[in-house]
Amino acid sequence: MTYNRNKWSWRAEALALAVGTLVLAMLPAVFGDTYTRHMLIIIFIYALAAASWDVSLGYAGIFNFGHMALFGIGLYGYAILTKQLDLNPWLAFVLAGGLSGLAAVLMSLPILRLKGIYIVLVTFGFSQLVMTLIVSQSDITGGTLGIVRIPTLPIAGHNLIRDGKIGHYYMALTLLVLGLVALRVFVRSKAGLSVVALRDNEEYATSRGISLARQRLLTLLVSSLVAGYAGAFYGAYLRTAATDVFGLSLTTLILSIVLLGGIGTIYGSVVAAALLVVASEMLANLGPWRPMLIAVLIVVVMLAYPGGLMGLLRAAMPTRRQPTAKSGRAASSEPVET
Amino acid sequence: MGATGDIIFSGLFQGSLYAIMAVGLALIWTTIGVFNFAHGALMMIGAYATWSAVDYLGLPLPLGLFLGVAASGLIGWGLQVSLIRPFIGRDDIVLMVVIMTLSAASFFENGALELWGPRPKQLPPLVEGTVNLPGLIVSAHQLAIILISPFILAAIWYLLHKTRFGLQLRAVAQNEEASQLVGLNLKALYGIAFALSAGLAALAGIFLGGFKFMSPVMGSDPLLKAMVVVIFGGVATISGPILAAFIIGFIEAASSYYFGLYWTPAILFLVLITTLMIRPEGLLSTPTRRLS
Repeated sequence: MTYNRNKWSWRAEALALAVGTLVLAMLPAVFGDTYTRHMLIIIFIYALAAASWDVSLGYAGIFNFGHMALFGIGLYGYAILTKQLDLNPWLAFVLAGGLSGLAAVLMSLPILRLKGIYIVLVTFGFSQLVMTLIVSQSDITGGTLGIVRIPTLPIAGHNLIRDGKIGHYYMALTLLVLGLVALRVFVRSKAGLSVVALRDNEEYATSRGISLARQRLLTLLVSSLVAGYAGAFYGAYLRTAATDVFGLSLTTLILSIVLLGGIGTIYGSVVAAALLVVASEMLANLGPWRPMLIAVLIVVVMLAYPGGLMGLLRAAMPTRRQPTAKSGRAASSEPVET
Repeated sequence: MGATGDIIFSGLFQGSLYAIMAVGLALIWTTIGVFNFAHGALMMIGAYATWSAVDYLGLPLPLGLFLGVAASGLIGWGLQVSLIRPFIGRDDIVLMVVIMTLSAASFFENGALELWGPRPKQLPPLVEGTVNLPGLIVSAHQLAIILISPFILAAIWYLLHKTRFGLQLRAVAQNEEASQLVGLNLKALYGIAFALSAGLAALAGIFLGGFKFMSPVMGSDPLLKAMVVVIFGGVATISGPILAAFIIGFIEAASSYYFGLYWTPAILFLVLITTLMIRPEGLLSTPTRRLS
């Protein structure tokens, strides 16, 4: 298990992120039509949902299958607070992310002692429980019909409806950058390092005094806050909330983004989200052939590059490769991008 | 008598189906150490292949059943060769196989939609008509399944515990390297285990198609239940999932009767999460001491 702390200096990464943000900020000038902008906003939201999952799945190695329920709690939290309680949307937005964090703490209590595959089931069970609750409390949540006409996040003196999606685009971009920074700061911190140590050698890490339960809780909390805010923004942008977010198809899509990007990379999720959303759009009128081709695409990429798209990029840049990293080794044993 | 009889019958019937599903899932989990999320899709393929043989080609049901199981087994074997074998021996195999089998399931489900269309189909039942038991009238098809299942499960148990092949499979499950050292053909064993598991899934699908409408996504709910069963019963033994399947079947039947169909999944998961908090290794497995 090679782990190189100084692969990216803080400065280099901050610079790269700033350049990337600048490029993305320029995009609306290139793509004038609202449809492309809408696609970009969806890409940003999916990227954030996936990148936050990458923290618990990739860095901590927790098989957390309840991640999209946390996203869904952010979405429904925002929807209920604005629609049923008439709260100020911005206040509701702040609270919705917190709700998702609270739910993550609840979810992690039963799994603090569990191992690998059992975690899959408990977290999955948790998401099913949340869904059942939401469907059954239909007077508050709209049940199977969902909630429509959710108020959006207002910007003073700006009309979000007739601005060609510019306002929402920059809100989504701001959220994406803030979320990525938060996740990267976490994985680069001492706490983040200890989480990776627990994943790679649990017995040794615990013997050196790292608490498995505490780090697990912390990881899920960080991951859920980002996922919750992504979910809340999803609600504010689309202005509808439906129980689909708890379904297997969205979970599969976001999980594909995480793995296609390369686990333990964070940035891989952004690249993979763009690839999958664009590919999916290009195949839009093919009926059942669309998911079939997407499935083939995922399988082919994963077979060729088990390290995902970031692994592919890494292989294409020989200067960035470590002499210690053997090609063909498992992605999880390769040095984590830091 | 009516309520109790209903619950017992329904519990036995659901338990039989879950047991056949879960044993196949557990077989893969114990030998290769991965979870097959395409198990439900393989179940659906078996049912649809049989439907094609019976309805489309006009073959008799026993032959169609055999063809469905064979088709599903063959696809299961192919799935193992193409999507799972490349990851064997890597330390991220579990996660990789999750995404590989999820993709495969999506591929098969949408392929079935394209091939057979969205209209619901039904298979002929194993046995026509109804049977009068003391106190309740049940469908002969369901009763036949309750009576046939123990033989199928016993056959699987015999195969795993009393034959040379079963011995090899259990050896591989316990220690991959050592089994290779004594000359076991790992690739062949994994392939056969997968084919066997897929064949069992197909059988469950064909049984299900005899009394419920089939659809391309018919496998997702049974897969979920089989997952619950496998975790609940632990995967250390073959009898664990079988026993757990019937327990889950009865919990479901009782809960559907008393709380309605709607709350049943939530109750099931609540029971499960509580169980796992007390017994992290599953209810019926021997607990092992570990550091944590």
